[in-house]
Amino acid sequence: MNKRTRTALAALAATLALGASGCSGGHRAGGGGRDGTGHPAPAEEGTVVGGTPRKGGTLTVLSNQDFAHLDPARNWVMNAMGFGTRLLYRTLVTYQAAPGVQGNHLVPDLATDLGTPSNGARTWTFHLKQGVKYEDGTPVTAQDVKYNVERSFSPDLPGGADYAARYLAGADGYQGPAQGKHLDSVKTPDDRTIVFELRKPFAEFPNATAMPTFAPVPRARDNGPQYDNRPFSSGPYKIESYARGKKLVLVRNEHWDPATDGVRKAYPDRLVMVMGLRANQIDDRMIADQGADASAVPWYALRPESAVKVLPDPAVRKRLVAESTNCTDMVQMHTGRAPFDNVKVRQAVRYALDRDAVLTTSGGPAFNDLSTAYMPAALFGGTQPDTLKVPAEGDTAKARQLLKEAGKPDGFSTGITVPSGDKGRAEAIQQSLARAGIKVTIEMVDPSAFYATIGDTRNRTDMVYTGWCPDYPSGSTFLPFVFDARYIKEKGNSGNHSLFRDDATMKRMDEIAAMTDTRQAAAAWQRLDGAILAKAPAVPVLVRRYPLVVGGNIAGAYGQTSFGGQLDYATIGLKDPAKGQG
Amino acid sequence: MILYIGRRLLGVIGVLVAIAAVTFTIFYVLPSDPAAAACGKSCSTERLTAIRAHMGLDQPLWRQFADFVTGIFTGRTLGGGQYALHCAFPCLGYSYENSEAVWDLLMDRLPVSASLALGAAVLWLLLGLGAGVTAALRKDTLTDRVLMVGAVAAASLPVYFTSMTLIYGIVRTAGLLPYPQYVPFGDDPVHWASNLLLPWLALAVLYAAMYARQSRGSMIETMAEPYIRTARAKGLPRRTVVVKHGLRAGMTPVLTLFGMDLGGLLAGAVITESLFGLPGIGRLFYGALSTGDQPVVLGVTLLAAAFIVVANLAVDLLYAVVDPRVRY
Amino acid sequence: MTTTTTPVPAGVPAGSGPWRLARAELLRRTSVKISLGVVALFLLMAAGAPLLSALCGFTPEEFDKTAVDPYLGGRPIGPLGGVSADHWLGVEPLTGRDLFARVVHGAQVSLLIALTATAIVVVTGTAAGIAAGYFGGRVDAVLSRLMDLTMSFPSLIFMIAMLSVAKDVNRVLLMTAVIGLFGWPGIARVVRGQTLSLKRREYVDAARVSGSGPWRILTRAILPGVAGPVIAYTTLIVPGMIATEAALSYLGVGVRPPTPSWGQMIAESVAFYDTDPMYFVIPSTCLFLTVLAFTLLGDALRDVLDPRSARA
Repeated sequence: MNKRTRTALAALAATLALGASGCSGGHRAGGGGRDGTGHPAPAEEGTVVGGTPRKGGTLTVLSNQDFAHLDPARNWVMNAMGFGTRLLYRTLVTYQAAPGVQGNHLVPDLATDLGTPSNGARTWTFHLKQGVKYEDGTPVTAQDVKYNVERSFSPDLPGGADYAARYLAGADGYQGPAQGKHLDSVKTPDDRTIVFELRKPFAEFPNATAMPTFAPVPRARDNGPQYDNRPFSSGPYKIESYARGKKLVLVRNEHWDPATDGVRKAYPDRLVMVMGLRANQIDDRMIADQGADASAVPWYALRPESAVKVLPDPAVRKRLVAESTNCTDMVQMHTGRAPFDNVKVRQAVRYALDRDAVLTTSGGPAFNDLSTAYMPAALFGGTQPDTLKVPAEGDTAKARQLLKEAGKPDGFSTGITVPSGDKGRAEAIQQSLARAGIKVTIEMVDPSAFYATIGDTRNRTDMVYTGWCPDYPSGSTFLPFVFDARYIKEKGNSGNHSLFRDDATMKRMDEIAAMTDTRQAAAAWQRLDGAILAKAPAVPVLVRRYPLVVGGNIAGAYGQTSFGGQLDYATIGLKDPAKGQG
Repeated sequence: MILYIGRRLLGVIGVLVAIAAVTFTIFYVLPSDPAAAACGKSCSTERLTAIRAHMGLDQPLWRQFADFVTGIFTGRTLGGGQYALHCAFPCLGYSYENSEAVWDLLMDRLPVSASLALGAAVLWLLLGLGAGVTAALRKDTLTDRVLMVGAVAAASLPVYFTSMTLIYGIVRTAGLLPYPQYVPFGDDPVHWASNLLLPWLALAVLYAAMYARQSRGSMIETMAEPYIRTARAKGLPRRTVVVKHGLRAGMTPVLTLFGMDLGGLLAGAVITESLFGLPGIGRLFYGALSTGDQPVVLGVTLLAAAFIVVANLAVDLLYAVVDPRVRY
Repeated sequence: MTTTTTPVPAGVPAGSGPWRLARAELLRRTSVKISLGVVALFLLMAAGAPLLSALCGFTPEEFDKTAVDPYLGGRPIGPLGGVSADHWLGVEPLTGRDLFARVVHGAQVSLLIALTATAIVVVTGTAAGIAAGYFGGRVDAVLSRLMDLTMSFPSLIFMIAMLSVAKDVNRVLLMTAVIGLFGWPGIARVVRGQTLSLKRREYVDAARVSGSGPWRILTRAILPGVAGPVIAYTTLIVPGMIATEAALSYLGVGVRPPTPSWGQMIAESVAFYDTDPMYFVIPSTCLFLTVLAFTLLGDALRDVLDPRSARA
């Protein structure tokens, strides 16, 4: 951390009761107050806001947007996966409903246990619990789980997670069940047993079955793309009405049996999500906490500009939840193209980059953590190491020196593509690189078209600003996706946007993937992270948090680390249900 | 007269088809790939091809357009097998984003935009015409000057500024009204109005100012016409002359303006809806644009054009009723 | 709107040409003097933007981390949104960019787009209007249909759509073109009507009989005749153009970052309307004053140059 911010913090500590700070660069990226270094936001993480809820009442969710997809075969957005799997559909296994790192632990959901591996973790068998029912009272069967896995292959239903396609045997060219074809590698010997046959050993398969792909969809209810508007419930709530972009109303699913469900508490009687509101007005309403808004929660993260209304006010701050999203924002450089094929140039970018400025434009240290490694803190057991010791505000002299060594003493011109929401961050990057002589043009792309744009490896800009979130807490869902050259595609490229091709790295990845001891594997991933960092295909910038101010009548609110820091809808409810009627 | 209407209606259809063609070309010629956007973060080439075929994007442009236009009149069936969807008349296709029929989405959002537009129109007509006619009848007095200076200033106020000032003053500071959140009229007319009052005011300030200027000018012009002078000379009371003769003819140019403004606003006030967070057609359009949801973008454009063209037609027909000098 | 306290300037001799008279009449009005002053001020500001921002010591893109407080969500340090000896109008929250430098450069972009678009509209509109009015017949029919069609387009929606799909182009140029594309029918209609009535005047007939070619008639007889209304109309559409640029930038389809424009500044400052009102008020005021000045100027010009349609 630089001198100026430390002084500023010291000055603020007294007035704002933020607590003293002993921040040093190495600990800035702590995975949420657990590192004990006095990060100024300890109260917002790992704790539950509002105590234990009481049953009943209406919980209101205020949102500026609609879900991309609620269809379990297509839902692959962190917080929407949390919403879907906590309220509407159950998966074979799921994450424990608990704050902090506890939320990373897998527990059985539809299944009786976390699955039984055989054939060297190539075959996985799950048994379904008895008494799990849909909203019409019919039982959930193994065939229904299989059916939804098959649906996720259908070109009519794009957007979902591709773990099934990646790991199931004989899945190449499969186009879903609509034409009457089925996957032989998923077997259902009886109504309550499902067996998956994988193309290679996969010790972490249970983690994948927490994805909505592994939720049941009864064939009779499947109406293709329209299923998105009315998923059939196997969870504690069912959809009463859903006007896309306007309003979603959930009511209790009377056939959901709490005895079969160790995760979901289902406190409120109704859940109303109001969509299409203006984001800043949601922030203001949550801060004001008046009338019916006391029983409301926001859907989208607090805007940086609202921070000034939250942080200095202890009463509002008490209602703030700010769990880490566990996604690392990175500047990825096209290593296959001049001048970024030169490692010195890439290192120069790393030294030129003022991460502190990017952090400030993102809302400051209360809502973000600087990143010193690729993998987020959760994959380092709570704290990212700082192997390179690059100052947070960058080192322009060093960057210029590196550029000179690379034969570019006068710098060069290049471009960066960012989603339109990241404009401020992009401008901060542009400014800091300009100081070292690197002229950057910013290309802004709408978020929905962003991945398609940067996935076109021929026509995209040299640099892209994008993040990666592990789908579950393992290095195997991070480093291979971001740095394995075998995943590079000329079009529709994803993850490895630095087009990093390094044989030593790939060899090591295969070795780690084959390890059966998960502790040993975790340590190995962490060392590999440092090794790749030295080769500088990408610059890690920051890890965002998901700040949410909840209403004063809300209880049981905490950010779920496995769902990108979004509130855990399994356990949220009201303090006084009588206040949240209607 | 009937012949005239028939000819005009044919023209309306022609204009709409032309607009559809232009919109279609803009989106399909320029480099954007809705299939890739739908495919998501990790998308294999084979899957992309399959999705493109499913969306009908592998067809040549003219074919897609022809299917679209015939679909509007006859309906059409999209997809195949178990997932086949029949999209009935008037079929504008299905949203790429959420698979809802575009027509249903439009009809779902229309009440919001229509509430906004009609409520604001009532306000601005009352305020604008009131101020304009008053100023005209008291030409060159202090009242006239104050009203007109006020109108020029109000017309120059950026709508962002008006809106945020209203929210700051009335909602945040005084707490008199809630943060706008659309409530359907059928659910609760009182809340419908109280939630929409601020957006109405924000829109009405701008338009009322324009209408005050326009109606003042047109009223002064009319009052100077010979037939008004004759009526006055006949000894008719001033009030009768103003209301029966002056207003009727003087409002003709205002009517033109009103037709175009209302037609434009019915299909969504993009900025006002976004400033106040109202889920109207403007928001739908803006959201669809940022997600590359071309069927919705096309649908909104056509609806907006239809409103404008029909409003113009209605205005022309109303001329005959309002202004005795106009005949077809 | 005007006061008659200013006497007729003594330098205007009796019996001078119509343009001289018009100028004298205009300068008699206080509102015209004030609006001219405001317009001149902003034009100078726009033209001298690099110089002015050099004077205050900041470029519009330059971050100043010391001016904002990262622990309070990037709020400017100091009163009135960070007003200080360094930052005359305060700074942008989050980035600490100098608001004076940004608003001055924003004037450059906003006015450049608005005025160029106006020029496009006026030139195309006048040409189309004269052609339709003078030649009549098939030319008139085609052009009139084209005007009807263009006016039926939901223009704002279309502009947003066109700007959002075209990526790799000069944004300023594209915005100018797109705004200009939908503006011309209004002026074309006015000019067409004017041309139709001029065409039947004796002096035009005389010119035709005496063997002048159509080009000569158009430039010597018709164009001067429509010039008055065109000038008045032009001034009156500038505010609309400025507002359209602001609207498009507000909706995020405007200039490429980090270039400032008033609309872009308003768009970003709307979110800070209560926490940093200065940030919001400054670009809004600039937009307001410019629109107001051009409207007043246009009103006055219309009164003087186009008395037939004048409303005062």
